[in-house]
Amino acid sequence: MPMDLISAEFDQCIKCGLCLANCPVSHELFLEKYTPRGKIQLARAYGRGEAAITDHFRDIFSTCVLCGACSVTCPSGVDLTKVFTHMRREITEKKGISPSMKPAVESLMIHHNISREDNEERGDWREDMKDLPDHRYEKPTAKVVYFVGCVASFFPMAQTIPQNMVRILSAANVDFTILGGEEWCCGFPLMGAGAGDRMDKFVRHNVEKVRSLKAESIVFSCPSCYRMWREHYPDDIKLFHSTQFIEQLINENTLSFNELPWSVTYHDPCDLGRNGGEYDAPRKILNAIPGLELVEMENIRAKSVCCGGGGNLEMTDPALSSKLAHGKIAEIRETGAKTVVTACQQCVRTIKGRVRREKMDLEVMDISTVVARALLNV
Amino acid sequence: MFSQAAADAMRAVLDDAWYLDQPEDIATYSYDGFLPEFTPDAILVPENAEQIARIMKIANKDKINIIPRGAGTNICGSSVAREGGVIMAFHRMNKILEIDRESMCAVVQPGVVNGDLQKKVAQYDLMYPPDPASMFVSTIGGNVSLNAGGPRGVKYGVTRDYLLGLKVVLPSGEIIKTGGKTLKNVSGYDLTRLLCGSEGTLGIFTEITLRLVPLPSAKTTLQAAYGDLDDAATTVTAIMAAGMVPTTLELMDRTVLDVISDYGGAQFNSDAEALLLIEVDGDEDLVNKQGERIEALCREKGAIAVERAHTPEEADKLWQARRTAFGAVASVRPNCIVEDATVPVKKLPDIIRKVVELTRKYDLQIAVLAHAGDGNLHPLIMTDLRDQEEMGRVDQMLEELCEAAIQMGGTLSGEHGIGIAKARFMNMEFSETSLDLMRGIKRVFDPNNILNPGSFL
Repeated sequence: MPMDLISAEFDQCIKCGLCLANCPVSHELFLEKYTPRGKIQLARAYGRGEAAITDHFRDIFSTCVLCGACSVTCPSGVDLTKVFTHMRREITEKKGISPSMKPAVESLMIHHNISREDNEERGDWREDMKDLPDHRYEKPTAKVVYFVGCVASFFPMAQTIPQNMVRILSAANVDFTILGGEEWCCGFPLMGAGAGDRMDKFVRHNVEKVRSLKAESIVFSCPSCYRMWREHYPDDIKLFHSTQFIEQLINENTLSFNELPWSVTYHDPCDLGRNGGEYDAPRKILNAIPGLELVEMENIRAKSVCCGGGGNLEMTDPALSSKLAHGKIAEIRETGAKTVVTACQQCVRTIKGRVRREKMDLEVMDISTVVARALLNV
Repeated sequence: MFSQAAADAMRAVLDDAWYLDQPEDIATYSYDGFLPEFTPDAILVPENAEQIARIMKIANKDKINIIPRGAGTNICGSSVAREGGVIMAFHRMNKILEIDRESMCAVVQPGVVNGDLQKKVAQYDLMYPPDPASMFVSTIGGNVSLNAGGPRGVKYGVTRDYLLGLKVVLPSGEIIKTGGKTLKNVSGYDLTRLLCGSEGTLGIFTEITLRLVPLPSAKTTLQAAYGDLDDAATTVTAIMAAGMVPTTLELMDRTVLDVISDYGGAQFNSDAEALLLIEVDGDEDLVNKQGERIEALCREKGAIAVERAHTPEEADKLWQARRTAFGAVASVRPNCIVEDATVPVKKLPDIIRKVVELTRKYDLQIAVLAHAGDGNLHPLIMTDLRDQEEMGRVDQMLEELCEAAIQMGGTLSGEHGIGIAKARFMNMEFSETSLDLMRGIKRVFDPNNILNPGSFL
C-alpha cells in the first residue's frame, strides 16, 4: 500500500506527546517506541526510507490495542489508528504475517472463524437452551439478521450473549434469523493482522447470505463486527449494535423490565464508543431498568480505557494484554460496584478471563445478560 | 568520543536491558515537542541515583554528552542530543516516595507524571498547583527542569514556587542535596532555585520535594465577550485591583474565536474582539461573592456579554471554547508553533496589537491565546514547516516579537523555556556580563560541558 495515503497524517503530527496521556500500552511499557507518538514517528521514518522493517519494528506495531484513545486526544487531529492499521498492512505485505498471527489467519482462510473449528459448530451455543424453538432461529427469510460474531459463537465464556440476545428479540416479537454455519468472520482480525487484502471473500459471502434472506437490517452484539460492516461493507442494509436495537425496542415500549436492585458500572468498548460513536444507548438501557444503579468509572466514554482485548494483542503479546485487563479491573473496582456490564463479547471474555485467574469477586456480564434478567428473569 | 568501552561500561551499570541502541529506540529519542531532531548514540534508562552517579563518572571521564529527558513534551528543544551523546530517560524512576500531610509536601522521583501526582494528592485534600498543558504526560523532573507554569500560575505561581528541595547527581558523579521540607530556608545560596529551570544543564534530579497547598473546595467560572481588546485588558487589571486573584484569566482573540466556529465549535458574538475566561477558587461563599463582583466588573468595563456558570456542567460548557482552541487552531495548517513571549500585565494589549501588526507585515496566520492574568502570551502561528520561504518570514516575525516583548519590560519566554528555540535571542534579554555569569555557573557545575550541551548558553 502506498505510504503517501497516510503521509498527511504523520506530517500533521506536532510531536507534542499529548497522545501518551490515555494510551494503556504506553502506561505499561514506557519506552517512546511503544507510545503513539513514537509509532507515528517510526511510520514517518519508514515513509522517508529511514527505517527498515525488522522483526522488532513489526513487533512494535503489533504492540497496540488499536483502541483509538490516542486519536481522540490528538490536538492536531491526526488519525493515529489509521496510520497504525496501514503500517500493519505494509509490514505484512513486505515481511509476511507475523508468526504469532499466522495460525489465526490461516484458520480464518480455511474455517472462516477465529477458533479453528468447523464453521458448522457456529450455532452450537443453542444446544443447551431449554427454550429453543423448532426453527432453531434459522429461518428462510426475516426482516432482521442477528449477526452473532465469532467470539460469542465459539467461546463458552461468551455464549450466554447469543442465548440472551435471541430471548430478548423473541420476547419483543422481532422477525429475525441467524446465519448459523453460513455466518463467516466479519474480517476484523484480518485487518488487525495487516491482511485486509484477504477480506473480500468474507465480505462477499456475508453480504450475499444476508441479501438472500431479504433482510432489512442486521443486529450485532459484537462492536467490532458492527464497525467492520459500517466501514468496509456495502451500505444498503441498516446496521444496529445490539444496544441501539434494544434501546429502540425500549422506546417503542416493546420491553418491560422487572426490578433489578443491582449496583453496576459500565465499560465502554472501544469499537462501540470511541470508534462507533455510541455511548448513550447502553446507558439508557441500564437506566431504564428499575432499581438498577449505574456507578460510572473515572474514565468513561471517549476516555474509556481498553480492556486489553483489542488489536489482536492477546495473540501477539498475551502477557501485556493481561496487564491491561488487570489495570481495567482495578479501575472497575474503584467504583465499588460488584458487577461490570459491557456491550462487547471480546471485552467480556478478556475481563472475565482475568477476573477468574485472579480469583476476584466481580461479576462480568454483557448488557444482553442484564436485559434478559430484567425482562425474563433468566 | 563515545567509545565501545564506555558504551559497555554504561551497559553494565544498567544490566544490559535498560541500555537501548536499536534503530527504533534511536529514532524515537531523537525528538521532543520542538521542531529540529538530533540522533542520539544510545538511550539510558536508570533506576536510581546510584546508577546515575556511576554513569556520570563514566561520561565525565570520556566527555560523553548526557541529555536528561522527561516525557519529551517541551517545545523549546531542551531534551534532544544537539551535539550527540546519550539520552537519559526517567521512565523507571516514577514513584511518589512520600506525601507528608502534616508538612504539606511530597517527595517524588523525577519520572512521576504531573497529573498522577495531582490525582494522588487530591486524595489527601491537597493540591499541587502547577498545571502545564502537558500535565497528563509531562514529568515532574521535566517540569522542574523547565520551571513549568500553567493557567493557574496567575494565582498560584509556577513550579519554582512549589519546589522545596532536590537530590541531584552532578556531572562529576557526586550526589548533593539542596533545600528540604521547610517552606522557609535562607541558608546559603539558593541552589534549589538555581537548578529549577536550568534545562538539564547543571545536574540530574533524582528526588524532588514539592510544596502542596489545601485543595480548594469550590470554584466559579465566567466568560465575558468584549468588542474592544482594551476593555478586556482593563477588566483583568480591575479584577486584581479589587483584591481578587482568579486562578484562570484566559484571553482568546477574534482569530481564535473564528477558527473555533469554523471548526464546528461554539458560535460567538459577532462583535466580540476578545473573550475572557475567568475562574476563581476557594470556599463556596467566597467564590459565589467573587463571581458576582467579577460579573459586575466585566459589565462595568464594557463587556458586551457575560455568562456565569451555576453548575459544573455550565462551567464545563464555558471551558469548551478554551479547550477546543488549540486543536482548532492547530488543524488549520499542517503545523502550529506556540510562541511564549511574556510582558507585564498592563502591556498585554500593546503586545497583542504588536502580534496583529506583525501578522500583517509578514503575511502570516496567527491567533492569540493569552494567560492574561500574568501577561503570558501564546501566539499560535499556523504554518507549514515544509515551506521554507514562509518559515523565513516566521523567523523574522519571532525576532521582532521577542524584541518588542523585551522593550516592554518582558521576557523571551514565560513558561516554555529557551532550549535551542530561542538561544539566539538570549543577548536581547541579557547583557554579555549576565551571560558570562551564567556560563561561569555552568562551568562550576559541569566543567567538561557534558550535560545537555548546545542548549541555551
